[in-house]
Amino acid sequence: MASMDAISRNLMLDSLKEYAKRRIPYDLIRELDEKNEFPAEILKEMYQHDTLGLHLLMVPAEYGGVSGGTFDIYRVCEQLARIDLGIATGVFATFLGTDPLNVGGTEEQKEKWLKRIAGENLLVAYGATEADAGSDLVNLRTRAEHVVKNGKIVGYNVTGNKQWISNGGVADLYTILALAPGGPSWFLVERNMEGFSPNKHEDKHGIRLSNTAGLSLDNVYVPAENLIGMEEGKGLLQAQAVFGYTRVVVAAFGLGAGEEALEQAIRYSQQRIQGGGPLSEKQGYTHKLIVPNYVRMEGARSYIEYTSQRLDSGEHGLQTEGAIAKYGASEWGNKAADDAIQALGGYGYTKDFPVEKIKRDIKICCIYEGTSEVLEMTIYRGRWQEHLKSRGRYYLDMADRLDQVHATEPKAGAHAAALGLRALAAVLEECRVQKLTRHQHVTFKLGKLICAAETAAIFSTAAAAPKYSETVRFDREGWQAMARVFAREAALNTALEGLALVLGAAEQAGNLADAVNIEAVQAEQKGMIADMDLVAAKLKQTFKAK
Amino acid sequence: MNIVVCVKQVPDSTEVKINPETGHLIRAGVPSIINPYDHYALQAALELKAKHNFKVTLVSMGPPQAKSVVQMGMALGADEGILLSDMAFAGSDTWSTSYALAKAIKKIGKVDMILAGMQAIDGDTAQTGPGVAQQLGIPQITFCEQVEVDGRRVIARKQIDGGYEVLEARPPVLLTMIMTKDYTPRYPSFLAVSASLKKPFHVWSAADVGAEAHFLGLKGSPTQVSRIYPPPQREKAAMFSGSGQEGAGKILEIMRSEHFVE
Repeated sequence: MASMDAISRNLMLDSLKEYAKRRIPYDLIRELDEKNEFPAEILKEMYQHDTLGLHLLMVPAEYGGVSGGTFDIYRVCEQLARIDLGIATGVFATFLGTDPLNVGGTEEQKEKWLKRIAGENLLVAYGATEADAGSDLVNLRTRAEHVVKNGKIVGYNVTGNKQWISNGGVADLYTILALAPGGPSWFLVERNMEGFSPNKHEDKHGIRLSNTAGLSLDNVYVPAENLIGMEEGKGLLQAQAVFGYTRVVVAAFGLGAGEEALEQAIRYSQQRIQGGGPLSEKQGYTHKLIVPNYVRMEGARSYIEYTSQRLDSGEHGLQTEGAIAKYGASEWGNKAADDAIQALGGYGYTKDFPVEKIKRDIKICCIYEGTSEVLEMTIYRGRWQEHLKSRGRYYLDMADRLDQVHATEPKAGAHAAALGLRALAAVLEECRVQKLTRHQHVTFKLGKLICAAETAAIFSTAAAAPKYSETVRFDREGWQAMARVFAREAALNTALEGLALVLGAAEQAGNLADAVNIEAVQAEQKGMIADMDLVAAKLKQTFKAK
Repeated sequence: MNIVVCVKQVPDSTEVKINPETGHLIRAGVPSIINPYDHYALQAALELKAKHNFKVTLVSMGPPQAKSVVQMGMALGADEGILLSDMAFAGSDTWSTSYALAKAIKKIGKVDMILAGMQAIDGDTAQTGPGVAQQLGIPQITFCEQVEVDGRRVIARKQIDGGYEVLEARPPVLLTMIMTKDYTPRYPSFLAVSASLKKPFHVWSAADVGAEAHFLGLKGSPTQVSRIYPPPQREKAAMFSGSGQEGAGKILEIMRSEHFVE
């Protein structure tokens, strides 16, 4: 679905913020977190049509929703994550649970179920994961056996166990992946169906406001019309079809929670006086704990927006892009939240300050919807194919395009980003020549390097554009400084870590140091401290102490 | 009855800072919001609409992005929205703005009541609402905390020092509203925002409302802003803890040392 107009989107975001301000204060969140309690009333209220109708965002207008696009959903999910990642997960579970229907449902099924989800404010859960089937769904154990009457398949008996299902204990409707005779397939299972029972709510490290439970299906009879798409064997394709989009959503969670933690630290640092002045004035504090993290989060934001806009313009799949968006936002967000605790010192380590909870919550972003390691592999696989298909030109061509960006706007870090991409192309090529991708560690590490180098390219391109996205809260000078800091760091890491990776795995050392152009990458670091000073000043200006 | 509500988009003043060197507002990253007083005025109009089935039309003046406050009002229940947007309006002071808004209201036609916020939080002048009434030659009641309609009588409770007075007027009348808990502002649901796109919304230029150019913009404004600057920062106050008596003793000590008292 195409995204809606910016004014409508921002009005919805304002309503969400106001609702949270009134109904979900931090004291309540803290209490629920401590009790490990799912705020059912709040979720239901957020779904009420005259309050927010949050779940209508992902339901097309013809079925009673508001037809939100990926960009809209990313913005709302980022905001939800700033409020509480557990609540965000509860909402996301409905989005995710509805996806198989949106992607693979027949017109009659959409007409019936999407209208019910929209009109009856159903909480939905997505039941894919099992004890032996997480990101790798091939080992699916839940079975769906035909129930035949008069020679016709009238339904299925579904038996199996699911685990770690968000909204598992509280949903009204479940989309369950089970192995039918024709292959993995999605089934719509209602809570009150005989033989279906949720298990206990898990006692988790974080996102404790999200209900997470296993599901037991003991010979649950599911009518044939509840087979999504009315065709067996399409389940994995239907699941994969939305990975690009669902991973953008989790990326938005990492972004929202990570930036929220940092913004709290930035405000705090202006009031905390140490050594004769506020912490916000000290490079030892800002340039270690704040600036690099915020810059990475803005890099993640630009990649999320790039992927969202492509999905909204009608492109399908984008699994590698979704993986890059999620991997970057989750890993950098997790690091940002960790550093935000450090930035608040002893206060940050207590539950009186939200950064402690954010840090526990955000870790899930590195785990659900594909662990960071699975994503490293996904990113590597996707781009390795591009490298081979293009005979090594994939990143060189991207670097050439960045040279053009640099020629029109030299202040956006495009030159450094291009250096990073050329270094990446050299590392990939050396891995090909020396057959280094036989080492799994090499492939996963390449996934990590690709994420940073590609994000730098997208961030610099966005920072060079004549008009910025509605989400950019900094002036041109500040956002371009951020893009430069990001691109320099990415280029340096790509060159150094790529070189080290190859040297560690190769039997013979070639002239890779020249190929990654290490000297130019080092020379590009000039001006880094001044840019970090500028970013620190802009952050202080934008997130003033309260 | 036909009610017009004047609404303005303003920067969220809690987030605004002034660059001390240039005197300009630092707007980067500062969200725009509906002027809070106008939000209350809108809520008052919507409650009258709910009770009496009146028609509510919103009028705003500003750049194209000011459509946001008009759309928000329509999402909350207003029937129609008008945005006066034209480079000719840029830089208008309260007099010029009142003139332009009055022209737009005349163009709307039969209007029985105009509601506006008491003041906008970006300028704090409280002049535009009364200015519109003056331009239209209609009565005005300012600082209203409650408004009711009984037949053709508009009854308003006006806040005054130490209490309130109840005033009555025959339409057409303009009222400026203060922020009161009787009209707690609401925010629209997602569905309402989406539905508001189907309501009539018009962008009018200076020519559309028949406004004369020499009364508009910087040139048409009698007020000229020479400088904006943040008030000089005061020295930080010394804070004492302890009993009132101890505190009084310390204050007296300081006053003596500074020779305020002997």
